[in-house]
Amino acid sequence: MKKIIALVLTVMMVAALFTVGGATAFADDEGKVFNIYAWNEEFKGFFEKYYEVPEGVTVNWIIVPNADGAYQNALDEALMNQEDAADDEKVDMFLAEADYIVKYTNSGVTQDIEALGVTDFSNAYTYTVQAASDNANTVKGVSFQCCPSALIYRRSIAKDVLGTDDPAEVQAQLDSWDKFNAVAAKAKEKGYMMTASDAATYRAFSNNVTSPWVDADNKLQFDPQIEAWMAQAEDFVANGYTQAAGIWSDECTAQMFGDGKTMCFFGPAWYFNFSMGNAQDPEKGCPGDWAICEGPAAHFWGGTWLLAATGSDNPTMLADVMNTFINDEEVCSALVENEAQFCNNMAVNQKYAEDPNFGSEFLGGQNPNAVFVDLAKNIKFENQTQYDQLCNEMLQDKAFREYLKGSVTKEEAMENFYKIINEAYPNVVTP
Amino acid sequence: MKKQKGVSYAKWGYIFVAPFIVAYLIFTFYPQMLTIYNSFFENYRDGLNQVGPNFVGFDNYVKLFTPDKNGVIDILKYTGNTLILWLLGAVPQILVALLLAIFFTSYRLNIKGQQFFKTVIYMPNLIMASAFSMLFFTLFSNVGPVNQLIQAWGWSDVPIDFFARKFTVRGLISLMNFLMWFGNTTILLMAGIMGIDQDLFEAANLDGASATQTFFKITLPLLKPILVYTIITAMIGGLQMFDVPQVLTNGAGTPNRTSMTLIMYLNNYLGKSKNYGMAGAVSVIIFIITGILSLVVYRSLNRKD
Repeated sequence: MKKIIALVLTVMMVAALFTVGGATAFADDEGKVFNIYAWNEEFKGFFEKYYEVPEGVTVNWIIVPNADGAYQNALDEALMNQEDAADDEKVDMFLAEADYIVKYTNSGVTQDIEALGVTDFSNAYTYTVQAASDNANTVKGVSFQCCPSALIYRRSIAKDVLGTDDPAEVQAQLDSWDKFNAVAAKAKEKGYMMTASDAATYRAFSNNVTSPWVDADNKLQFDPQIEAWMAQAEDFVANGYTQAAGIWSDECTAQMFGDGKTMCFFGPAWYFNFSMGNAQDPEKGCPGDWAICEGPAAHFWGGTWLLAATGSDNPTMLADVMNTFINDEEVCSALVENEAQFCNNMAVNQKYAEDPNFGSEFLGGQNPNAVFVDLAKNIKFENQTQYDQLCNEMLQDKAFREYLKGSVTKEEAMENFYKIINEAYPNVVTP
Repeated sequence: MKKQKGVSYAKWGYIFVAPFIVAYLIFTFYPQMLTIYNSFFENYRDGLNQVGPNFVGFDNYVKLFTPDKNGVIDILKYTGNTLILWLLGAVPQILVALLLAIFFTSYRLNIKGQQFFKTVIYMPNLIMASAFSMLFFTLFSNVGPVNQLIQAWGWSDVPIDFFARKFTVRGLISLMNFLMWFGNTTILLMAGIMGIDQDLFEAANLDGASATQTFFKITLPLLKPILVYTIITAMIGGLQMFDVPQVLTNGAGTPNRTSMTLIMYLNNYLGKSKNYGMAGAVSVIIFIITGILSLVVYRSLNRKD
């Protein structure tokens, strides 16, 4: 009899232990493995530093480099097998870039995050929410950063050409394309180049299109903004205001050295903080000789979105991650202060924009956030299609540059562009 | 009274070739048939949506052979590109390899340090083609060392854009293919020459034949089987040229697609949209071209005089 009582008591105690243990876990019925697809380690670093993973959950990173579409191929494969995958193998969240985000948001592979509990977008920049929404305005994800792209200019060259290096006065002289083009001629007279790549201004045009690359009948079309860029690139190369070279080419980055002769670059915070290494070079660079202003047209470049995969078995954690990176003031502040990011939280950015002690040494003490907070409000993410990535990249880097270099005629360049599009997108009808 | 019928060994023959036949059927024949089958279907991905497979008959082939606005039939242009790129690399490759093979095997010259040279000439083949291409891309870029030298020596004031000219791009691709493969060909041809009976060379020598006579009357005729093999394998490899031009021109086959090879074209269809229909049709065309050319080379070299 005693034995039986002892046994019952033991069983009860053990059971009680389990109940208590279960109650403290994050969400009892949710998965124990959180799978994130990404193409590099950038967000992984922020995530591991600033997000507290619920007890008992393992975060599994599947990182596939972006080169030649490898990331999208791997991701597509995983998403298409999502239904049959075991719970712990399912994609819970994946990262996407602006150039191809539409492919995923306008598809059943992503889910409504408002239904998951991410509902407060009041502090997020409009374009970042637009970008993560499908055609019916259902929000499918968030961005942890905002990437307004500024005009980055050399102070010393601006002084020589414009007579001032004050951001407000430089902006006044460069706030439209007409003025920008006129200054290019002036810079040339003084022996400078306006930009270091024909494609430097591309996104300032392409982000402001009023019609999509591919219309409702699947016909490829050229927006007036794209045509304006083509005209500018042609004019700039012909007159020596720029060089026919890619943004990432050695020719272009060589212009960032102290002995470079280029006045303007375009890019967001990540560009001058991480991609202008030559300008930051301790011996040959010229840190401090730079400043930013809004430039002729508001636009953005890059940025990483976190999208919620349909079928995720960790919905609570998914929502929590997204909320943390747009609405948690502490985390957003840390991103600005420690990571040189312009975060996706207006209130936090405003706080730093008004902080007189916040400035960038690279920009000669200028407060980049003060420029970005205004710029970011005017950015649009409209008229995007799932075909944009190749249309944008191939036009700049493959087809049109060949023409700018003089190795093909304009007609041949266009014909080659259509061929590339036809090969990559069989259902798009080219002129 | 039949007691024993003598052991039949025939079945062992079949058993021994069976693994090859099975492997061939599964890994070569079946995919080949599948490719041909796929080429009659519309089958691709539009973003995340699968389109097809829908049977379209010969539509994919018709599309391949439809001229563009300038009257150029793409696949013929790329076939031409591929053959030119191959010939530019293969002709010097085989000539140089033949010369080296003769030097290395000649008992008259008796070159010292043969092992060293054989290793050195084979070396480029061990480098990954993509790494080799990246190296050349950096060397010949507008701000690369080659252009710096050209400017320093005063040959040109502005950098020469090697990747915007047909001749330089094709030249570079051929040069790289030559560098990568001449060592390999040399080793093959040396093996062929060493397989020739040394008595013949000695006899020719005694009869007072010159080196040229020995080469054309003895070495070349007896080397023919190996030479034909070398040329045909080099040609098949050449028709499948991909990695070097792909990396060197960043997949674009610049300028004006004059260094776009057949496999790069195939890759354009497969890479983004997983267009098995069009890619299948291109593969079938490549298969036919390879077959015809191999036959032509084989026939013309093996003709009985």
